[in-house]
Amino acid sequence: MMIGNKKLTQSIFFWLFRIMSTVVVLVLLTILYFVFSRGISTISWDFLTKAPEDGMVKGGIFPAIIGTLYLIGGSLLFAFPIGVFSAIYMHEYIKKGKIKSFLQLMTNNLAGVPSIVFGLFGMALFVNKLKFGDSIIAGSLTLGLLVLPVIIRTTEEALKAVDDNYRMASYAMGASKLYTIKKIILPIALPDIITGLILSIGRVSGETAPILFTVAAYFLPKLPHSIYDQVMALPYHLYVLATSGTNIEEARPVAFGTALVLVMIVLVTNLIANGVRAYYHSKYKK
Amino acid sequence: MVKKVLNFLQVGVLATSSYVTSIVVLLIIIFLFNEGAGVFTKSLLEEGFVIAVNKSNKLNAISPKDIKNIFDQKITNWKQIGGDDNAITLFSIDELPNFYTEEEIGSDFEYMDTCINNYIANHPNVLAYFPERNVAKNFQGKMIKVGTLGVFEFVKGKEWLPTARPVAQLGILPLLLGTLMVSLGAILLALPFGLVTAIYMAEIAHPVARKVLRPIIELLAGIPSVVYGFFGLIIVVPIVQKVFSLDVGETALAGSIVLAIMALPTIISIAEDAIRNVPNNMREASLALGATQWQTIRSVVIPYSKSGIMTGAILGIGRAIGETMAVLMVTGNASNMPTTFLQPVRTIPATIAAELGETANGGLHYSALFALGCILFLATMALNLYVQLALKKRNR
Amino acid sequence: MKKVILGCALLIASTTFAQNIKIKGSDTILPIAQEEASVFNKMGKGSVSVTGGGSGVGIASLLDNTTDIATASRKMKMNEKIKLSQAGKKVKQIIIGRDALSVIVNPSNPVKKLTRAQLEGIYTGKIKNWKEVGGKDMNIVVYSRESSSGTFEFFKEHIMQKKNFASSVLAMPATGAVVQSVSQTAGAIGYIGMAYDNPKVRQLSISYDGKTFTEPTRENAKNGKYPVVRPLYIYYVTTSEAKVKPFVDFVMSKKGQAIIDKVGYLSL
Repeated sequence: MMIGNKKLTQSIFFWLFRIMSTVVVLVLLTILYFVFSRGISTISWDFLTKAPEDGMVKGGIFPAIIGTLYLIGGSLLFAFPIGVFSAIYMHEYIKKGKIKSFLQLMTNNLAGVPSIVFGLFGMALFVNKLKFGDSIIAGSLTLGLLVLPVIIRTTEEALKAVDDNYRMASYAMGASKLYTIKKIILPIALPDIITGLILSIGRVSGETAPILFTVAAYFLPKLPHSIYDQVMALPYHLYVLATSGTNIEEARPVAFGTALVLVMIVLVTNLIANGVRAYYHSKYKK
Repeated sequence: MVKKVLNFLQVGVLATSSYVTSIVVLLIIIFLFNEGAGVFTKSLLEEGFVIAVNKSNKLNAISPKDIKNIFDQKITNWKQIGGDDNAITLFSIDELPNFYTEEEIGSDFEYMDTCINNYIANHPNVLAYFPERNVAKNFQGKMIKVGTLGVFEFVKGKEWLPTARPVAQLGILPLLLGTLMVSLGAILLALPFGLVTAIYMAEIAHPVARKVLRPIIELLAGIPSVVYGFFGLIIVVPIVQKVFSLDVGETALAGSIVLAIMALPTIISIAEDAIRNVPNNMREASLALGATQWQTIRSVVIPYSKSGIMTGAILGIGRAIGETMAVLMVTGNASNMPTTFLQPVRTIPATIAAELGETANGGLHYSALFALGCILFLATMALNLYVQLALKKRNR
Repeated sequence: MKKVILGCALLIASTTFAQNIKIKGSDTILPIAQEEASVFNKMGKGSVSVTGGGSGVGIASLLDNTTDIATASRKMKMNEKIKLSQAGKKVKQIIIGRDALSVIVNPSNPVKKLTRAQLEGIYTGKIKNWKEVGGKDMNIVVYSRESSSGTFEFFKEHIMQKKNFASSVLAMPATGAVVQSVSQTAGAIGYIGMAYDNPKVRQLSISYDGKTFTEPTRENAKNGKYPVVRPLYIYYVTTSEAKVKPFVDFVMSKKGQAIIDKVGYLSL
């Protein structure tokens, strides 16, 4: 009797869990379906390679794609080396102690800062104080600061995963610390570091709030000439299409197409990152 | 020798890089607080303008709220704010041509100062609002002190009208409450579903199901917030409106639902990691004692991973408080005091995003938005520090 | 291959040496600026780039020299004027066209006209139900623009006689969003630039004196019968007059003014 009761409770709860989990997965899949089903018909070669026309309800999103690529490139150019260097120093050079925990605390704090606060900060420092104006460089630096903690974290994880025996063996052969890091540890950790880099591309490409006041242009069909020019960017373009313009209904297909391109960037970077990880791990095991 | 210098330099670069995040946090604090502090030092009166009364008026100062109500014509008599029993005569510069001829004002407005001066002197019950540069040299009226905003009024004020003239109303209570409501609502919705899904994936589901679900959930964690906002605007808002048969669908509830969906992937991954960290021998011990799988989950797995789950929840709240774009698109952004979830609300991040573009650089409104940024920064920082301290304690 | 290199070199040379005129500012004027710029560019008269951001952003950019022309759907504010004169900059103001504001409701709403006083009551929160103004028993859902937009300021000054809005008013980040929301919400009311009018919403006739109601048509706005019409401004610093003159002249020309009508605004 007791056992029967227990089994009953278990199956009731398990079914409840199954149902709730299914609801969650369905909701999440709905979003993917929503973006794909409505966006796919808009995607065409012209859409990806032409500038917006007719008050942005026709034509393509080429300037926004290029703008987002510039921002990805600019921010990672700045954040990737600093992030990797920082993680190497924190993991390989500092022993456990107050400095280390302080640096980690600050990195985690920076990771928790809301993206709109990065936008305010970027506007106050880069746009106004340093007089960059609304520009690729101001936007890239702001986005770079935003992904810096992400890169530091993934690099640290990658370094942690390197077996200590490699370090010991290298030192035993008389190699210096710097040499060990360069020739032994980094090559082993590289796949995971690259994975982190690829994932941060997804993060940079989707952020809107930090670029609102530092770089994003509402309508700028021409491509930028220098890093002091403004650019259009995909996430801001989607926001504009969803809320402004003289005819929102007519702009819907373009908006769905833009949303799909954004999701595709995230999807592709995730797939590549998983691919890189899987490929190197299987190689490593052999 | 050269090698040594080179070596030293390289390590120096590494060390400097590791301090970048700390420096940035410091810079954020300096810039945000420096700009934000302006909200308490700048005059609430529109820059370049003054408010004056007739000399016979016994009032020397009027509170910002009263000034607003006078210009909204909700207060019409001086006795309502402690003056004599006389109706208030409002005067602003645009009305000058109604009282004086063009010759009197002058073709180049050269006699405008005198006209204003005369008008104020001749009308004992006037409350005048005009540019500072038009104050006559022998001004016969009395300037009214408006003063600056107090910290208390800022936090407790119930009206957010940053562009109200002549005096801005900067009360952030509705924005604070709006932000808290939307984020708490989101967590209350996301937590049970997120935890159940995490437990299901870690303990109950078939390993193959987990292998399929995990990447999907990781993918959803990476989808930009504007896409979620767009989804909310087109799907969630109309559903909320229909289900509750409301006048408008853009409500706190819609914001909470969208944020909850956004927070689900984060909560699921953190909680699942915490559950998978439970040592297997604990499960086995429980099962060996004759407990069912459910009993093991309830009395061994969940208690053991509780603090990890809490971390996920608190980080989720932090994320929700700071989320901007998705909320901006679905909550309607009305700055009234929120009373129910079925009402439009305005959150702090949405306010910053919507208003910063059109403010005059360095003005009072600009400072007020930076002050809102400070509040967001402090709130998320506090949650973050709490989580980190809690984690440290546990690791010891 | 050589041709490609030559082409690239020419392209770089032309972009570096051609005077690029930058326009920045009001989102209301964006459709005009966009179209004027693209015709001007096509005629080969020079190159013009357009960005939005808002009237305030445009004027602030004049101050930091990051734009040549600022567009604004409101007059320059006192503190902006003071700042520019402190920076030693003389600014020229030109009215390039006009925009009529119209009040819109959902097409299912039987109310066809409102007085200014009724509108004031609705936006200050005194009137809460459509039956108070001759409509069905239905709550009024009031949509407005963000308080920092030029459209908001104009509505506040002319319809509200500078009174402040009730805080329960829903603030939308852009005019397009107002149209969208009003078309979906039965009890909604909103105000928009006439260029944004769309068959999914209905414009109301407005009366200032409470007796004669005027329909918001283009003719009525042009001949002055419809009262809620605002000027659209451009500003530039006098020292850059030589650079911006060709474009400004083009906008003020017959062809340029025809574009303003075509986009849905009112030419001078």
